[in-house]
Amino acid sequence: MSLLWLIVLGLAMGVVFGAALEKSRVMEPGVLVGQFQFRNFTMLKMFLAATITGLVALAVLNGVFGVALHPKAFAVGPVLIGGLILGVGIALAGACPGTALAQAGAGYRDAWAIIAGGIGGAIFYGYAKGPIDAALGWGDFGKITFADVFAVPFWALALIFAAVLAAFLVVLERFVPSKDDLAQAETMLGDPACSDGGARPAPAE
Amino acid sequence: MLSLTDRNWSPYAAGVVIGLLQIPAFLLVDTALGASSSFVTAGGFVASLVDPAAAQIDYFAKYMTAGKYFWQSALVIGIALGAFLSATLSGSRRASFSPAWTRMTGVSSLWGRMAMGFAGGFVLLLGARIAGGCTSGHGISGMAQLAVGSTVAVVAMFAGGILTAAMFKKV
Repeated sequence: MSLLWLIVLGLAMGVVFGAALEKSRVMEPGVLVGQFQFRNFTMLKMFLAATITGLVALAVLNGVFGVALHPKAFAVGPVLIGGLILGVGIALAGACPGTALAQAGAGYRDAWAIIAGGIGGAIFYGYAKGPIDAALGWGDFGKITFADVFAVPFWALALIFAAVLAAFLVVLERFVPSKDDLAQAETMLGDPACSDGGARPAPAE
Repeated sequence: MLSLTDRNWSPYAAGVVIGLLQIPAFLLVDTALGASSSFVTAGGFVASLVDPAAAQIDYFAKYMTAGKYFWQSALVIGIALGAFLSATLSGSRRASFSPAWTRMTGVSSLWGRMAMGFAGGFVLLLGARIAGGCTSGHGISGMAQLAVGSTVAVVAMFAGGILTAAMFKKV
């Protein structure tokens, strides 16, 4: 596939991705950090809905059409320590690598600092990869999936896991209605008319 | 039907839309959705400006040459474009920084918030590159492939996030 076509495809898919992140308010710092404070469940709901959809899509693609999967390796040290550091970064940035771009697109100016810091972090890792890997690179189990662990076909376990997660979401929605999450998010958008800090509550609609 | 002029989509609808993007990713690009690799691609080119030897470092070279990383870089630029279109067409353009930051941490100036954001972004990508993926690659894509490592990474991400957010005020 030509490079130009890959870039056009990436842009088109990104527009859809970015719109979904903005419309669901999952890219709002108050919503993302709110998930870690258990006061807003938008992020978990969107994340699990995307996971369920992916599980069903990949069960069909892999199970029926034999499309190859690309699971990442389970290296205990990097995944555990890296995941922890990443979590700290999500809370401080109020963004994941992808949602930082959505914040910038939606107009938040501090998102550009997150992106710049992120590029700095990636450069730092590129230069320090040797010592970091030497310190953390233990416990590599390779690219294993739970389907390998339980020795069952991927499509079967994927559909079972999707059903379990869907049941969980039904229960979660009963306890924490999405309209309450959204109403809370609306109070965090700031006043688009002000450009001096945005540090004031949104005007009543 | 979902429209770009809607003010909101439910988190479930948004999640299904994002999950469906795995289909073109696997079929057309032979990879899973991800976002953090693109920061290495950008980092490689930025580092090359001051250090011509950067492009010879294997780690940067890989992300500066393979087609799928250009696809992912276009994807994250598209994310910014999509959020811009979505916010503009629904009358919810943001300004400066989220008022939630003032309520949660007391930061009241854009520069103060940008310093915190820069530090957060640095930590974010350092963690993502050590772990080999972010909320998209390990989270949405890894769990959809039942990857053991990605599931552990997601649990660790939540642990790190919950511990850090516990230091902020609840709003």
